[in-house]
Amino acid sequence: MNPLIFTTILMTVLLGTMIVMMSSHWLMIWIGFEMNLLAIIPILMKKYNPRTMEASTKYFLTQATASMLLMMAIIINLMHSGQWTIMKVFNPTASIIMTSALAMKLGLTPFHFWVPEVTQGISLTSGLILLTWQKLAPMSILYQISPSINLNILLTMAVLSILVGGWGGLNQTQLRKIMAYSSIAHMGWMTAVLAYNPTLTMLNMLIYIMMTLTMFMLFIHSSSTTTLSLSHTWNKTPLTTTLILITLLSMGGLPPLSGFMPKWMIIQELTKNSSIILPTLMAIMALLNLYFYMRLTYSTSLTMFPSTNNMKMKWQFETKRITLLPPLIVMSSLLLPLTPMLSILD
Amino acid sequence: MMTYIVFILSVIFVVSFVGFSSKPSPIYGGLVLIVSGGVGCGIIMNFGGSFLGLMVFLIYLGGMLVVFGYTTAMATEQYPEVWVSNTTVMGVFLLGLLMEVMLVLYVLKSEEVGVVFKFSGVGDWAIYDTGDSGVFSEEIMGVAALYSYGAWVVIVTGWSLLVGVLVVLEVTRGD
Repeated sequence: MNPLIFTTILMTVLLGTMIVMMSSHWLMIWIGFEMNLLAIIPILMKKYNPRTMEASTKYFLTQATASMLLMMAIIINLMHSGQWTIMKVFNPTASIIMTSALAMKLGLTPFHFWVPEVTQGISLTSGLILLTWQKLAPMSILYQISPSINLNILLTMAVLSILVGGWGGLNQTQLRKIMAYSSIAHMGWMTAVLAYNPTLTMLNMLIYIMMTLTMFMLFIHSSSTTTLSLSHTWNKTPLTTTLILITLLSMGGLPPLSGFMPKWMIIQELTKNSSIILPTLMAIMALLNLYFYMRLTYSTSLTMFPSTNNMKMKWQFETKRITLLPPLIVMSSLLLPLTPMLSILD
Repeated sequence: MMTYIVFILSVIFVVSFVGFSSKPSPIYGGLVLIVSGGVGCGIIMNFGGSFLGLMVFLIYLGGMLVVFGYTTAMATEQYPEVWVSNTTVMGVFLLGLLMEVMLVLYVLKSEEVGVVFKFSGVGDWAIYDTGDSGVFSEEIMGVAALYSYGAWVVIVTGWSLLVGVLVVLEVTRGD
C-alpha cells in the first residue's frame, strides 16, 4: 500500500478510538466507532487474497451490526432522558441493548464467533492491531456506563466467555486462533469485575494488552503462525524459546509473573463482594487456558518437537528488528511486585 | 388526512426500505431509494425544515444517487433481478410488507403502542404548532449552529468522508 495512504488510514484508526474515548456526546462516540471500523478494513485487507477479504467482510458485518444496535440504544436513551451526555444509561432496555452492542464489538460470548475466524484470516500484524487496539474503545464505553449495566447479563456473558475462550482454544494448532480464544477469555475476566470495581477492568486491559503485544511480536519475530512452525524457534533464535515460555505462562496467570496480578485482584474483589462460587468457577476455567498455553511452551521450549530434518532450518530474508520487544517482555513478566501502584489507575 | 401526513409518509418510507433491503438488483434498489429520499424530504418539510428537505433532493438524490445510478448502470448484468423474479426476494419483500401492515394496524387500532418503547397511537405523529419558535425558524438555527458550535463535528465528518474515499479506493484496488 502507498505509505502515505497507509499512514493516513492508520492515523484515522487512532483518531477514531481517541474520539470514542474523549467524547461526551453519544453521537460523537458513534461517529468515532464508525470511523474506526471504516479505517481498519484496508488494514485487515493488506494482502489481497480471498481469505483476508472474507475476514474483513465478516469483521465489517458484525461491527456494523453492533454500531446499529448502539445507535438504537442511544436513541432510546435520548427518548427517555432527553439528553445526549455520556453517563449511566437511564432506561433498562437501552442499557441491555447497549451492553449487547458493546459485547459484539469486544467479542464476548454469545457474540464471539467472529473472533477466531477474523483473526485467522488476516496477517499477524493486523491481528495484533485487531486484538489489542480495537478493544480499547468499547471497553472505555463499558467503563463509563458501568453503573447501569444489568448485572445478570454482564456476569453471564463474562462467565460464558471465559468458558468458551478456554474450551474453544483446546483444539487449536493455529497460533492466531489460539490468541483469539485467549482474547475472548480475557475479555470475560475484564467484564466480570466491571460492575464491582471498574479500575480492575482497566488494570486487566493494560496487562492483557502488554502480554498480547509481546506474544504477537514474538510470533512476528519468528514468522510463525502454527504450533509446528513455532516449535522450530530453538533452531533460529534459542533465546526466544525462553521468552515465549515466560510470556505464555504469564498469560496463563501463574504467580510470580505479572499475568497473575489482574486475576488475583479480580478474585479478591469478587470475594469481597460476597460472591464465592463465581470466582471459583472463573479460576477453574482459566485452567483450560493455561493448558493450551502450556502445550505451546511444551512444544516450543521444553522439547525438541519431532520434525523431518529438512524442516528444521527456517528460511527468512533477514532478522526483523522489533524495537519494543525487550521492554514489553520485561513488563509482561516482572510487574507483579508493582501491584500497589494500581491505585494510580483510579 | 393532512393531520396524519407524517404517519403516511413514514409508512411509505419503511415500505421502500423493505423494498431495497430485500435485495433486488442495485438498479431497482436505487429506484426505491429515490422514492424513499423524496418521502423523507416530505417528512422533514412537514416539521418545518424546508432547507434540509431541499438539500436532500439536491445533494442526496441529485448528486449522490445520480452518480450511483450511472455506475450501477455501467456494472449491471443482462437480466437484473426484480422483486418478483426470485422467490427469495419476493418472500422477503412480502414478509417485510406483512410486518409493516400489522404494525400499522396495531398503531391505528389501539390507544397505546409499546413495541420497544411506548408511544400513544397515531397521535404522536401529528404535528401541532405548539411552542413559540420565536422569530427565527429552528432549522436554520440548527444549520447555523453546525458551523459555529459544531465545528468539531464538521471537521470529524469531513475527515471521515475523505478517509472513506481513500478506504474504498484502497479496498477495490486489488493487487
